[in-house]
Amino acid sequence: MKIAAQDSSKARRARSSEAVILFCIGTQTFAIAADAVQEIRSTDSLAAAAIEMELAEVPKVRHLVERSHRTYYVVSGCAHFGLRVTRPTLVLILRQIRTAVLVDSIERMADVSQVHALPQAFQGEERHWYRGLIYLEDRVIPVIKPDGFLTREEFARLDRASKAIEARHEMEGAMRA
Amino acid sequence: MSGADKQARKSWVLLHVGNRRFALPAESVVELAPPVRLHNFPHTSRLLAGVIVRRGRIVPVYDVAPVLCGRESSVHRFYLIAERAFGLSGETNEPSAIPVNGECELATGEMQPPQQNAPSYFAGTLAIENENIDVLDLQKLVSAGSNHPDAAIQAEARP
Repeated sequence: MKIAAQDSSKARRARSSEAVILFCIGTQTFAIAADAVQEIRSTDSLAAAAIEMELAEVPKVRHLVERSHRTYYVVSGCAHFGLRVTRPTLVLILRQIRTAVLVDSIERMADVSQVHALPQAFQGEERHWYRGLIYLEDRVIPVIKPDGFLTREEFARLDRASKAIEARHEMEGAMRA
Repeated sequence: MSGADKQARKSWVLLHVGNRRFALPAESVVELAPPVRLHNFPHTSRLLAGVIVRRGRIVPVYDVAPVLCGRESSVHRFYLIAERAFGLSGETNEPSAIPVNGECELATGEMQPPQQNAPSYFAGTLAIENENIDVLDLQKLVSAGSNHPDAAIQAEARP
C-alpha cells in the first residue's frame, strides 16, 4: 500500500512538471518546452542546405531550410527579440511549426513545476513572444511561445517569396540543361 | 469621529520618487519590499523596468521616475508594491511595484481636488506638514507613461 501511494505521488509530480530547454541569445536566457523542439543543429551543419532569402517585410528571416519535405523559415533570435546582434551557433528546429530559430547556445534542460502567467502589465509584443515566466534558481526566465516567432501573415509572405525562389531555381536549372 | 469624517480622512502612504513626495491610498498598498533582484528580459512595454519576485509571485516594476520627475533615478532600491486595476471597470487587480528610496510613511488627511492643469495621473492633493503632496492614480500614471517620450521602447534587457 505504501509503495503504491509513493508511486502515485511520483506520477503526480511527473505529470505536473514540464521539461524545458534553456537557451541563450546574447546574455539573455530563454526557455522553450522540450517537446516543442524537433531537432537542434549547429549552424555549420545546416549551412549547405540553407537557401538565402531576403524579404523587406520580414527582415528577421534570412534563410530557409528544407527538412523532411517541409520548408522551415530560419528566424534570427536577436532580431526577433530586439537584442544586440550576436553570432549564433545553433538552430532550434521546431516541431509542428515551420520555424527554426538561430540561438547562441544551449544552457541545459530543466524540469519546471510552474509556469507563471506573464503579468498583465506587459502589453507589448512580448504577449505574442512568451507563454509565461518561470522562476528557476533565482532567475526569472521567459518561456517562449513556439508559434510566436512568425505571424500567419508573415508565413504567407514568406511562402510567396519561397515559391518565387523555387521557380527561379527551376528556370536556372532548365537554362543550364 | 463620525463615519463621514473617517471616510474623508483616509490613510495614505507617502513615498519619495526623485526629490519629490507623492501619496498613494494606503488601502492599495500591499507592502514595502526590500532591495531584491530586478529581473529583466526583452519586452516592448514602456515604463516597465523588469520584474521582482515577492512571496512566490512575479511582480512587474514600473519605473515612473521619468514621468514624475523627468529623469531616471538611481537611488531607488526599495519597491513599494501596490494593487493596479486592469480592465475597463477594474475587474482584475495585479500587484505592481514602484522603485522608491525606502523612506515611506503613513499619513492621514483629506484629499483635496488636484491643482488646475495638473496631469490626469494626479487624483488630488494632500496638505501635510505645510507641503502639498500629489496623490497618484497608479492606473492613469502608467497609462500616461505609455505615451511618455522618455519611456522609450526597450526590448534589450537592461543589466
